Amino acid sequence: MRLLDPSGLEALRVALAGAPAPKRRLWVCGGPGCLASGAAKIQAALAAEVKAKGLGDGVGLRTDLTGCLGLCEMGPMVGVEPEGYLYGNVTVEDCRELVSETLLAGLPVGRLLANPDNPTRSEQPFYQSQTQLITKRFGKTIPGSIEDYLKTGGYAALGLAISKLGPLGVAERVEASGLRGRGGGGFPAGRKWASCRLAPGTAKYVLANGDEGDPGAFMNRSLMEGDPFSIIEGMTLGAYAVGASRGFIYVRHEYPISVERLDGAIKEAEKMGLLGHNILGSGFSFNLSTVEGGGAFVCGESTALMASIEGREGQPRVKYVRSTEKGLWDCPTLLQNVETWANVPIIVERGPEWFKSKGTKDNPGTKVFCLVGQVKYSGLIEMPLGSPIRTLVFGVGGGTKPGRRFKAVQIGGPSGGCLPYSALDLPLDFDSLSKAGAIMGSGGLIVMDDISCVVDVARYFTGFLMGESCGKCAPCREGLTLIYRILDDLCQGRGREGDSAVLEKLATNLARTALCGLGQSAGNPLLSTMRHFGEEYLEHELEGFCRSGRCQGLFWPDINPNLCVGCGSCLAACPTRVISGQKKEPHRIDLTGCVSCGSCIAICRFGAAKAIRKGGSQAARQADHQADLADPSKDAPKTNNIPTPQSVTKDPTQPAPKGGGQAGA
Amino acid sequence: MSQAITKVTGTIDGRGFSVPIGTTLLEAAKSLGLTIPTLCHHPGLPADGNCRLCLVETGGKLVASCLFPLRTDGEAILTQSPMVLEARAFTVRLLLSRAPEDPRLLELAREYGTGPDPRLADGADGCLRCGLCVRACRASGTEAIALVGRGRERKVTGPFFEPPIDCVGCLACARVCPTGFIDFSELPRSIWGRDFDLRPCPQCGRPVGTPEELRRAGVENPLCPSCRRLSYSRSLMGLPEASFSNPGER
Repeated sequence: MRLLDPSGLEALRVALAGAPAPKRRLWVCGGPGCLASGAAKIQAALAAEVKAKGLGDGVGLRTDLTGCLGLCEMGPMVGVEPEGYLYGNVTVEDCRELVSETLLAGLPVGRLLANPDNPTRSEQPFYQSQTQLITKRFGKTIPGSIEDYLKTGGYAALGLAISKLGPLGVAERVEASGLRGRGGGGFPAGRKWASCRLAPGTAKYVLANGDEGDPGAFMNRSLMEGDPFSIIEGMTLGAYAVGASRGFIYVRHEYPISVERLDGAIKEAEKMGLLGHNILGSGFSFNLSTVEGGGAFVCGESTALMASIEGREGQPRVKYVRSTEKGLWDCPTLLQNVETWANVPIIVERGPEWFKSKGTKDNPGTKVFCLVGQVKYSGLIEMPLGSPIRTLVFGVGGGTKPGRRFKAVQIGGPSGGCLPYSALDLPLDFDSLSKAGAIMGSGGLIVMDDISCVVDVARYFTGFLMGESCGKCAPCREGLTLIYRILDDLCQGRGREGDSAVLEKLATNLARTALCGLGQSAGNPLLSTMRHFGEEYLEHELEGFCRSGRCQGLFWPDINPNLCVGCGSCLAACPTRVISGQKKEPHRIDLTGCVSCGSCIAICRFGAAKAIRKGGSQAARQADHQADLADPSKDAPKTNNIPTPQSVTKDPTQPAPKGGGQAGA
Repeated sequence: MSQAITKVTGTIDGRGFSVPIGTTLLEAAKSLGLTIPTLCHHPGLPADGNCRLCLVETGGKLVASCLFPLRTDGEAILTQSPMVLEARAFTVRLLLSRAPEDPRLLELAREYGTGPDPRLADGADGCLRCGLCVRACRASGTEAIALVGRGRERKVTGPFFEPPIDCVGCLACARVCPTGFIDFSELPRSIWGRDFDLRPCPQCGRPVGTPEELRRAGVENPLCPSCRRLSYSRSLMGLPEASFSNPGER
């Protein structure tokens, strides 16, 4: 059916909203992590079970894949509508029970509940602090279904724009909303729109950046796969406002499902007359297609992205003229992150004032974050901008894992910055973060605990960026290699006096001289860890000591008898079998034969195994043991919430690592 | 349009300039007789801004002068500020790791008080990855070579790391190379691991160019530049076509 005018759209929306909803549905999470751990198989098994039982649409019972349910730590997840139960770690074997108990009878299956204390989603702290605007359809709609999108308020904004607002009205709403680009820099979207709208030229383009390449980030992917129509509607509104008739969504090569979903959604929208020629009879035409990236991190940079769409090698170019004036094929181009686009329909429909009521004055709206790393509940989280980091890490994420202390959080991906404990009350917004030496980036938060070594972390991120450096400009190509090598030397105990100072100078000059934004920010992990954990760099450099027990050979492991409960984990983990001790008695390490691998430190859930200086005195060691006890437990549960030895083998908060890797990065 | 709109004014190291809008900072500096060091820049080829040696300071930031267009009045540019000098020393040191024996780089290293970093010694092959050769090849319409690979693995090569099949042996790449990295021989003609024939001038017999190169230029059997000049001036003077073939007579 092709919609011919805004009133036809409105009539369809009303009809769809009034259509009877299924009596009960099982929503299988189709987010990246859950899919990787077998969500599609679970959905198929559920559907087969429904069919076998002779239940179908006629009875109003359904099972479908939906967008990311967020609590990736517990994947694969299944949500129940309307009761709201949330199941975690579901397996194919559980499907029979899910259908007979929950789908048919509406009863919860206790052993599968993600949180037995709070069986429903709305009761869980993980969801309570969130404000879901962008992710509001996750768990409520079938991502590729335009009916579901229309039913949940979709295309209301486009109808309003064409029937009432007009192009200028749309642009004004976006400008008045104060929306800032969600891709990293937080550039005011309204300014970009105005610049592109006013740029001379008949051929203009709108682009969406879906080239998400940060390790541990999957918010753009979840959005493209969970609510593709919101991006498409946003881009249609953008094209309408600035006068573009062609658009591209640039999607990372590694996201084939995103490409498939977006392509499918584009086709659906075209069929309905919501994309293509003469949209809703307005005379405005807009064609949209996806472009699959070539697999380079650097293509997320705006000029490299455009080069890649043009069919050239994805490399940045020097940008002294904005792409809103001279972008794709030298035409005025409006490029926004997919999440920014998804905000546009909300703003246009609800108005700038409503949008500004979320978030803070200078940072209105929400942001989707990916919380990963050493945190209890990793996942996809949408919060109002300006929420304190603490709320995310400890409120929603549940804090660090048992026996571990929070050390730092890396915000904004590999070229973001590392913030320490003292920065936890910082509001998560563009300005506060950049003032603190981090960036919002695309919104990735990687939590590190006390066994993460900052030098090793800086080496990891620098190594990632070195491997992804396109090699065009000398500072990034050669400079990052040099920085990496010095960091590697430090981690391997080959540090030389003065290395820290050399590193700082290199990173500072790299930031000033590199050609593109990626090169300029590539020194951030190093500079920010150095700023907040400078003493650890000096320990590596001058003493060859790694206090985190991470850099092999730069420490001896030591077990604090006051904290050891004798659970035997370290004994089992030790590759050279130098740990001894009876169950429930403090264990001991015989350092002759110890290879200083840190396995015991990494596995200890009680904070008893620790790295100590090689050649340190016995007195210093004992003082250390005492200090450990006296140390106020920096949010890491030390006295309360400590798992008992019995619970070590099976701890509900510690599910076995599942495949996927994204969330577990 | 009045002159006030088409010209842009500002200062470089305190000296005033007034140049047409869109002039690059490097050109403006040149017009004042100021030298900004460059490596990947060639006046006959499109600028790329990749060597980062020509960075100068404006508004507290560094910009690549070979590409920065002067568009607003009142820009106060510094080419010798501490930030600029530090950045140049940093860049020279990194570039030097690729071509530690290049005289031009060595002189720059002396000027900015730096030297090669021993931790980068393994990359010293003599190529700066400035891409001038690639740009020259593209500008001449051939595109036989390209910079291939990412990061430090990046290097100039033909497709599939083989001798470039589209190379016409014109040597333009070797002529613009700032470090003399590209191996070539003029007579007999060879470059990039390929040997080329040379077509002689039909009049004097001296080599004019490779057949591939001449075909690209759309001429099959041209005179050499000297004979062409001679033939042209004779025709201007109304003299008959030269009939001699002895090069000594020219």
